[in-house]
Amino acid sequence: MRRAAVAVVKYASLVVASVMMLLPVALIITGSFKTNQEFLSTGPFDAPENWLNLSNYATAFTRGGMLLGFANTAIILVAAITGTILIGAAAAYAIDRFTFAGRRVTLALFLLATLVPGVTTQVATFQVVKALGLYNSQAALIVLFMGTDIISIYIFVQFMRSIPRSLDEAAKIDGAGHLRIFLQVILPNLKPAIATVIIIKGIAIYNEFYIPFLYITNPDLRPISTSLFAFKGPFGAQWEVISAGVVITIIPILVLFLALQRYVYNGFTSGATK
Amino acid sequence: MALMTPARRAPGRAVDPSARQPGRRVTARRGRDRVVPYLFVLAPIVLLVTFTYVPVANMFFYSVTDWDGLDRVKNFVGLANYVDVFTEPDNLRVFVVSLYYLGASFVQMALALYFATILSFRVRLKNLWKGILFFPYLINGVAIGLIFLNFIRPGGGLDSALLAVGLESVIRQWTGDPEVINYTLAAVSVWRYMGLNFVMFLGAIASVPGEIYEAAELDGANRWHQFRHLILPAIKPIVGLSFILAISGSLSVFEVPYIMTNGGNGSETFVIRTIKMAFENNKVGLASAMAVVLLAIVLVVTWIQRRLVPEERVDLT
Amino acid sequence: MLLTRTTRTAVVVAATAAMLGLAACGGGSAGEGGESGAQDMDPETCGPAGDLTVLTWRTDLVEDGTFDDYVATFKEAYPEIGDVDIQGITDYEGEVKTRMSTDDYGDVLAIPGSVAPDQLSQFFEPLGELSEMQTQYRWVEPESFEGLSYGIPVVGNVMGAVYNVEVFESAGVTDFATTPEEFLSDLEAVKAAHPDIAPLYTNYKDGWPLTAWQSYAGGVSGDPEYTNGMTTDEAPWSGGGDMEVIDGLLYDVVAQGLTEADPTTTNWEQSKQMLATGQIGVMMLGSWAIPQMQDAAEAAGETRDIIGYMPFPAQVDGTFHAVAGGDYNLAINVHSSNKCAARAWIDWFNHESGFSESQIGLSPLVDGPVPESLQAFIDQVELVEMAPAPEGQESLFSDIDTESGILTTSPDYRMKIVDDARSGARTKQQVFDDLNAAWSEAIQAVSGG
Repeated sequence: MRRAAVAVVKYASLVVASVMMLLPVALIITGSFKTNQEFLSTGPFDAPENWLNLSNYATAFTRGGMLLGFANTAIILVAAITGTILIGAAAAYAIDRFTFAGRRVTLALFLLATLVPGVTTQVATFQVVKALGLYNSQAALIVLFMGTDIISIYIFVQFMRSIPRSLDEAAKIDGAGHLRIFLQVILPNLKPAIATVIIIKGIAIYNEFYIPFLYITNPDLRPISTSLFAFKGPFGAQWEVISAGVVITIIPILVLFLALQRYVYNGFTSGATK
Repeated sequence: MALMTPARRAPGRAVDPSARQPGRRVTARRGRDRVVPYLFVLAPIVLLVTFTYVPVANMFFYSVTDWDGLDRVKNFVGLANYVDVFTEPDNLRVFVVSLYYLGASFVQMALALYFATILSFRVRLKNLWKGILFFPYLINGVAIGLIFLNFIRPGGGLDSALLAVGLESVIRQWTGDPEVINYTLAAVSVWRYMGLNFVMFLGAIASVPGEIYEAAELDGANRWHQFRHLILPAIKPIVGLSFILAISGSLSVFEVPYIMTNGGNGSETFVIRTIKMAFENNKVGLASAMAVVLLAIVLVVTWIQRRLVPEERVDLT
Repeated sequence: MLLTRTTRTAVVVAATAAMLGLAACGGGSAGEGGESGAQDMDPETCGPAGDLTVLTWRTDLVEDGTFDDYVATFKEAYPEIGDVDIQGITDYEGEVKTRMSTDDYGDVLAIPGSVAPDQLSQFFEPLGELSEMQTQYRWVEPESFEGLSYGIPVVGNVMGAVYNVEVFESAGVTDFATTPEEFLSDLEAVKAAHPDIAPLYTNYKDGWPLTAWQSYAGGVSGDPEYTNGMTTDEAPWSGGGDMEVIDGLLYDVVAQGLTEADPTTTNWEQSKQMLATGQIGVMMLGSWAIPQMQDAAEAAGETRDIIGYMPFPAQVDGTFHAVAGGDYNLAINVHSSNKCAARAWIDWFNHESGFSESQIGLSPLVDGPVPESLQAFIDQVELVEMAPAPEGQESLFSDIDTESGILTTSPDYRMKIVDDARSGARTKQQVFDDLNAAWSEAIQAVSGG
């Protein structure tokens, strides 16, 4: 009897929570299929007249510049993630496999930097980016995403330790230089760590709003999140188009999540604790 | 500190293996070896210094000047900006606003803990529930802002839902009422971030081996005892970490209130105000002082937290 | 010890970074004709060619293709011109201001309201001697400094309020209110006749529409020297002065519940349609808003003349006054590498594009015509053109404004008035007292320093 009551409470709470999580999103989805008139005249729970009305999606893509947004995001993602991986792995390699003067200081610098929330320093970072002549360029975002990411270096250092030293030493005996060891021994063995970094970093960059908002004003260079933000202006009276834009933005992440669920969970649990 | 050990404890490894080999090549090789680690660490350090340390140092410098962000001259004004941060009512107000988010993050942790506990025992459709609770965390902040603008607008989804279940009396101006707005925005923040806490807690609970639960069950421990004596200790470090994240997170709230209300009607947060001061009001000095204060709070909280909960997991061991 | 070392490193790196940055910029512009002044800017002789980037606040005209037509016609006139990139910016003031702290803010842009006159030369190319420009253009003084003009307005506005004629008439209001009190009772009448509508719509959420209220300053008293006078007036929000009347009216309409119920969910694009269809009575906006409202009326199946334009409810000796002034002034980025083409665009835009007529505004040209649909309004009011600041004090107002933290050009302080009026956190008098205190303190600080 008590067991049953507990089960009821348990499932009821799960159902209630799920409804709360899903309802706001579901309403955006239904809204995105409505016409302008329909959106204004029908209630939020009324189903759209035509579930195949994709005109809002067409508008979001053509006039809202979402395609360009995706292209820009892709460029930034690929460049920043490649950079992060190379840089993170290189730093981890140096820190874990070498003893050198200044190693302690280097380590301390990285440790200390994790405590500085990026959001606090943007006022001053802005001046640096400006002085480097990077303002209003995708390079600014790429460099910032690469340079302010200490978490990935952590993940790499952590993982580097599980790669047996005997591997690099064997390569060394075969006459391999450090660069070759790094590229041919270390990097391939870091694959699981690289996968983790790609996932958490990829999602973070895809969703990042603050940095592109601050550094990119040219509409042609905007990534997806600020492209969507710009919808608020010209489409302010067309919430059905905004809804379509929101859905379009969510789809890639949803697909990725469904396909790679386990890795995504692992990535976030390991990424967050380090 | 644990990071130091591996190099030293590597079994049977001399400081430099090539040193044993005789001949001229050795010195050449040793010289090169000395440079190598620096080459590998150069790019990360340059980026780290340029985009973290230089800004932090500059920020301290700007914070004692009256710089407007454009002028060539920066006049030294001492602590005037800091006095402003703590005396100007509009500046103090943002601290009050962050309390709403801090409060919300406790609610968020409690909910996350509840669901993590439930889902670490046997439940049907476990993965489905897990996915639904976690997914909001992956959604773009702009999209979340827009989703909720649509959801809470007068006559929108929330109002209609409340109407449908007979809770008309609960309906408010969700962002229009100054008494309600910060609760609304903080609730959106719970909606967004609960999933992350939940998955982290779930991971920590899963790290307790299943046999221990079985043994406990045999000993006659009920669910509460299991929670109290097995689950809670397992997740203590994660809860500690979530605590810091909650405090620094509640002070650096930006996206949702910026997108949903632009900081209007008393919902201005620390970061929104900093940006407005720096870029719209031309008070880079004041904005920097605000940022320094924020940074100081985060550092102090982290320090206290590390003192209270000696961390095994945050360290790199 | 640690701190000093870190700081020193930081300084070195910062210096290096700054040098790199400077070197990069220097290289860029030197190759293309050098810094300010070196380029010939007379479109007749310099031969406009090459690419051009134009920043505009009219996202609606970018969106509906109007700007595409402008670009096509412009290119017909100057076939050597390459790509013209029109960038529409929604939050124009905020974004452009941020962008101006770098070199990259287009070739042609409108000068944001918050740029102080003494900063003009830092950002913009001088377009000519003020005295010479005045023979051709109106309203060039506000964006001039030390005898040089930096921007030319695209259109002139008069400041009144757009309203729905039918809404007011059906509420029995047929005459323009002559005092704020009368205006409030007119709005009460509107509310009584149409309980479900917003008699006055603030457009609070978008913020920028609230900045229009500042433009009534000078129009209330009909005093062209009003803003200049504020630089010595330690209590502008008292004694029936313009600021007190304007902000008092804002406080009162909100406090008396004559505005939209939930200001945080207002929507600019939607407000046009709402005014046209009678869900809004009146909006306090310059004459530039008239054509947009009329278009919305037409789109909603109403007639264009359902949109009317009324003066601000205040009279001096039985006469309404309305401030007339330039809308945004077009200017050339001082760092532009194609100033010749930029100048060609500005001149073409003012003389050939037909923009000001299409916007039902006053022409920026001295001998330009007054559009017919504005004539009726202008006949009923006396236009006031605000006097430029006396020489040497061009920046005084904006210095005090910034120092006080009030920032009359930003929406924030009027948003706060709306907040206070709704919540009652501060009474109207407290609001005024605080504003006066901040203002007089700033006057002291600016004159003292």
